[in-house]
Amino acid sequence: MAGSPQFSEKFRRRLADANRNVRAIKPQHVRAALTSRNAAFALGAAIVVVLIWIFNAGMGEQPKNPILRETGVSPPSAIVRDMETPSKPDAAPAADKEGIESADGERRHAALAKKPFHNPEYEESVEVDVSAKSVAITAGFSGQRIVVFGAVHKSLQASAEQGLYDVVVILEGMNTPLISRRKSNVAGLWINTQSVEFVSVPSYYTISSTRPILEISTPRVFDEHEIGFRHVHIEPEPGEASKMSEHELQMFRQAIVRLKAEDGLYQKNETGVVFIGKSLFRTSIDLPANVPIGPVTARTYLFRDAELIAEKTATVQLERRGVEAFLYSFAFDHPALYGLFAVIMAVSAGLAASAIFNRSSS
Amino acid sequence: MTLYLPIAEMPVNVLVFLGMGGAVGFLSGMFGVGGGFLMTPLLIFSGIPPAVAIGTEAAQIVASSVSGAIAQYQRRNVDIKMGLVLLLGGIVGSVIGVQVVKELRQMGQFELFVSLAYMIFLGIIGSLMLIESLNTIRKTRAGHAPSARRPGQHSWIHGLPFKMRFHRSKLYISAIPPLMLGGFVGFLGAIMGVGGGFIIVPAMIYLLRVPTNVVVGTSLFQILFVTAATTILHSVQNHSVDIVLALILMIGSVIGAQFGAVAGEKLKGEQLRFLLAGLVLLVCLRVAWNLVVEPSELFSIATVVGGH
Repeated sequence: MAGSPQFSEKFRRRLADANRNVRAIKPQHVRAALTSRNAAFALGAAIVVVLIWIFNAGMGEQPKNPILRETGVSPPSAIVRDMETPSKPDAAPAADKEGIESADGERRHAALAKKPFHNPEYEESVEVDVSAKSVAITAGFSGQRIVVFGAVHKSLQASAEQGLYDVVVILEGMNTPLISRRKSNVAGLWINTQSVEFVSVPSYYTISSTRPILEISTPRVFDEHEIGFRHVHIEPEPGEASKMSEHELQMFRQAIVRLKAEDGLYQKNETGVVFIGKSLFRTSIDLPANVPIGPVTARTYLFRDAELIAEKTATVQLERRGVEAFLYSFAFDHPALYGLFAVIMAVSAGLAASAIFNRSSS
Repeated sequence: MTLYLPIAEMPVNVLVFLGMGGAVGFLSGMFGVGGGFLMTPLLIFSGIPPAVAIGTEAAQIVASSVSGAIAQYQRRNVDIKMGLVLLLGGIVGSVIGVQVVKELRQMGQFELFVSLAYMIFLGIIGSLMLIESLNTIRKTRAGHAPSARRPGQHSWIHGLPFKMRFHRSKLYISAIPPLMLGGFVGFLGAIMGVGGGFIIVPAMIYLLRVPTNVVVGTSLFQILFVTAATTILHSVQNHSVDIVLALILMIGSVIGAQFGAVAGEKLKGEQLRFLLAGLVLLVCLRVAWNLVVEPSELFSIATVVGGH
């Protein structure tokens, strides 16, 4: 920037001014702030804070991710209601022949994992992409909006209003093992007594669709493709299933979905996907700030007349960057050194404070 | 102003935690305690995973005890020999404690264990302190001078073997009780995320009969080194020390502690102890409340520990 010598001169003068002002602060100024009136004020504030905590303790159920509440996402209670209402009648036959059906489904699901599904009876296919291939988790990370967009190839509908097609987009984190525990009253104390370990539970799961999924297709299809909270496969460790009845197991499953929904990690948006014109569609999904770090997949399903026509997958990579990445790998790769560093930092913070205030806090 | 914590893996409001550090620091400066017994439950209630709260709090106690320990050392109030014996026990206790934390986390009973430990120890210490301070206040009102320590009394402790001479404490006692005491406090510190000053100080005065002026310095010396060791052990075993969170808490607490110390000078010893006892009992009741009252959510979920 050769053209702005005045600017850099001005900047240098500002910096010198600021520097002089900071240097003018002497330790006695800080010490002078330690008057009894200030101390009494701080005492009052401290006691108020502690009392608020003791008697209130934030046990109320406030929404933990206020930024999420703007894209028309259903509240967690809607997801909980979904889980608790009994299945629609047409789910009953599917449940009857569950043994055959699920083994069959399992095989088909395994095949699906390799190549995208396409129903040969239909000409249409679907193309999908995401707005961000990778999301950086930095010190300032507070969630991120992901736009999933796509197009129906060889679309037969004349306009968006015709509603010939239905689209379901699922944004899903890694599957991880999870323990669910239940408290019960033992001798007057509420303690964890029952626990079930589930093999793989989506760490994060958001479902967005053109309309409520029950109107789109049948539970059989949803089960096969794990679409919707009722249909995600949350199965216990093989050895653990025998410990309790199917009904109890179902309660544990519901608890997982409920707790995840309350944390903002499971979300649904029944009108989130919108068609723009005859073939383009899009949906925006807010990744919450507490999203578990790892790969996230966007699975997109195209339906017509309750039949699944095509499926496409795109991935978003969540990665720690900058200081976050450095500290995390420091903590996990050199834990002893990291601990030592924490101690050195603590010692210097303590020494710095007593040097500044020049009095011992014994 | 939010910051994403690298180990806790969650965004937090920096100002809230600075304020929390400041408030606890103020109280710890005023009462001359580490403040771990307030800070750890506060962190857990504000959503920090319990293991991270405890690991991080150990680092914060290092910061808040270091300046006090150095000042006491300069005033020759530290019995190094006694401190080393306590420290030896403390490190062994801490190693066991960190291992127990790991086991309990796998069993899913960690929360219960921490709550019970808090309830029992805060309950006992709080009640004893309350009674003692009320008695002292009553006596001074009645015009008697508060009674000093009665030296020369012998108890079962003086019959144990491995006697050592502790010059600065003017004691000739067995090394076993300080070793055991150190170990016990180190163990509790690792589990509860506290320095353990509220246990070690009364134990040294009433059980070991160490002179009061040496007690504070020596206990600070022991707490400083044991919490430093605990910090390192927690980072190695549980990867649960969050440096960013620790730094925020340290900044808040070291500043708060300075103001607290000023406020503490305005109050008499027994008044301070009375207030502290009240606070300790309140925290104890708060923890007990959570255990006794039916929670609105009976279920909880946790990731499988030790799976990776």
